[in-house]
Amino acid sequence: MASSGNLQNPAQCLVKNSPGKGRGVFAATSIPRHSIVEISPVLLFTKEEYEQHGKYTILDSYTFKWKNGSMALALGLGSLFNHSDSPNVSYTIDACTDSIRYIAARNIEPDEELCIYYGHNLWFDPAGAKAAVPKDELDADGWGGLTNLQPEIPSDDAIVPEEDLPFERFKPPPEEETAESIRTVQAWAVDVPDQRSIGPMLKWLKHSEVDADELGHLKRVRKQGETSTFLLNVSPEAPALPQDIQLSEPFLVKVPSSAALTTTSLAFKNVLWPTTYAPRRKGEADDWSMGKVVQEALRRRQQGELPVAAYVPTPYEASDDSSFMAHDTRQSAAHPLRHAVMNVIRHIADDRARSEDEPQTARNGTNYLLTSRILFTTHEPCIMCSMALLHSRVKEVVYLIPMEKTGGCGGSICLPTLPGVNHRFGICRWKGGTIDEAGLQLGCVNGFIEL
Amino acid sequence: MAGLIMNHHEEFMAEAMAMAEEALAAGEVPVGCVFVRDRNIIARARNRTNQLRNATRHAELEAIDEILADPVLTPPGSSNAYPLSDTTLYVTVEPCIMCASALRQMGIKEVFYGCANDRFGGCEGVIGVNEAVQHPSHPPYKATGGMLREAAILILRRFYVTENTNAPVPKSKANRVLKTEISPP
Repeated sequence: MASSGNLQNPAQCLVKNSPGKGRGVFAATSIPRHSIVEISPVLLFTKEEYEQHGKYTILDSYTFKWKNGSMALALGLGSLFNHSDSPNVSYTIDACTDSIRYIAARNIEPDEELCIYYGHNLWFDPAGAKAAVPKDELDADGWGGLTNLQPEIPSDDAIVPEEDLPFERFKPPPEEETAESIRTVQAWAVDVPDQRSIGPMLKWLKHSEVDADELGHLKRVRKQGETSTFLLNVSPEAPALPQDIQLSEPFLVKVPSSAALTTTSLAFKNVLWPTTYAPRRKGEADDWSMGKVVQEALRRRQQGELPVAAYVPTPYEASDDSSFMAHDTRQSAAHPLRHAVMNVIRHIADDRARSEDEPQTARNGTNYLLTSRILFTTHEPCIMCSMALLHSRVKEVVYLIPMEKTGGCGGSICLPTLPGVNHRFGICRWKGGTIDEAGLQLGCVNGFIEL
Repeated sequence: MAGLIMNHHEEFMAEAMAMAEEALAAGEVPVGCVFVRDRNIIARARNRTNQLRNATRHAELEAIDEILADPVLTPPGSSNAYPLSDTTLYVTVEPCIMCASALRQMGIKEVFYGCANDRFGGCEGVIGVNEAVQHPSHPPYKATGGMLREAAILILRRFYVTENTNAPVPKSKANRVLKTEISPP
């Protein structure tokens, strides 16, 4: 190997150029799962030393957070492992010897690059936290990673410059999921004890009526030892299964109800059931209220409704979820007045009536449903809906698409500015170009074009 | 009205007034209405904003829901975009802006109302959603006020003069008296 100028360590790891990444670590021969590929002693910097000097140097791209606020630079090959979303090397900290131990997470072929997962820097700090994660989990997905190596994070995920945002807002810290906060759903699953049945089972699933649309964010099969478990569906009754395949009785299993947006969430969700990792991409409608309402409208269009939705988010100061979403049902209800705004007001009223202890004590004033609430809607509300919002004492209306000829919030007329009306509300028009409006256009359907 | 023979418009408005009385008895703002097709009343309704916890549940919208839910009055599968194109409304108080717009979207034939509503009337009280405001597709409709106007005002006064525990901020109205003198429109 000396002739090629590549370095090789005793565990058959080579250092050579990785296209596009600079130097990387490669397997010289096949490496079996669980074998130690490298033990890197670390060089420790005190917190003060690092703050004052280290972080202004190239070291800042390589150091790990260590305990007590120290920063560690891995010696040996430790600083040369590149990042991968599906790493084949996991690593653990040995605080006794101040070293990092790199372990093959699966069988590795000769000449394959060895990659680790540059996880969340918090995971490693304190070092003892890793004990909470079962060893198998670490090995399975390389979890346990922990550096503050930032440069590998794709720049596409960079935060949108503040001035490009359609509004100014207070940004609360991102809500990270915990094992307790993960939303789950009960789904039917079945064990396939015989490995030879896996093929026929997959084939059957492909052609069966078992609908797994709502489980599309999960892996179909979970393997534990010799047993493969197939996820079926979320129907109330156990689904009918093929007669010619040897299967266990179907049983209910608690699975995550959505894909993992972060690696932390992924680790928690994978414990329940193997879950898809789907980090948010730039340009995707995010969970801003306007993004939500647009997604709802597009979803309903696929069901044959007009692509119009209205959403009243939970007030910022509220602790419980009291958000309401509704869509236009003029088509399905064959009722020209079933606009999204009217529907959402009705949802709120029904909810209010349900939650009251004494339904007889109806009072004027208790039916001002939208006091201090903001309503988001895909389209400027029509005159009827605008007045319904005024009757309900809405605080503010935010819409995406103006309705110049029919709208009641500035299009045809502007209701809260009319003389005599007994409530004023704010009107915001979402800036154009910030959300993809394709699919929200309203044609003339059965003569109903007004909103 | 005593001693006069009522024409059919007044008969229908009297029926609407009976619904307003029912609303008053139930502690609701006393507004009532009837919808008439071929000289027959096809729906009667009154305000239910308090009962339904929903400030948009005005008499007109209650009646419209009833008509559209009735398969005889509104045959399913009908291609008519305007289910009320042969229906006339009699309502004790001028329809508000919301209802005036709803009625236009339903293609109502004509509206008769009692007293005007200068707070949020949609048939000229505040703005003429029925006719004056342009709309690209929904046809305008004629709205005529003044029928049984005094009775409509009096019943509203009876509601507001009552010691009203249903008001948003209850106020003592002990010193108030019911005025029966009504100034001309």
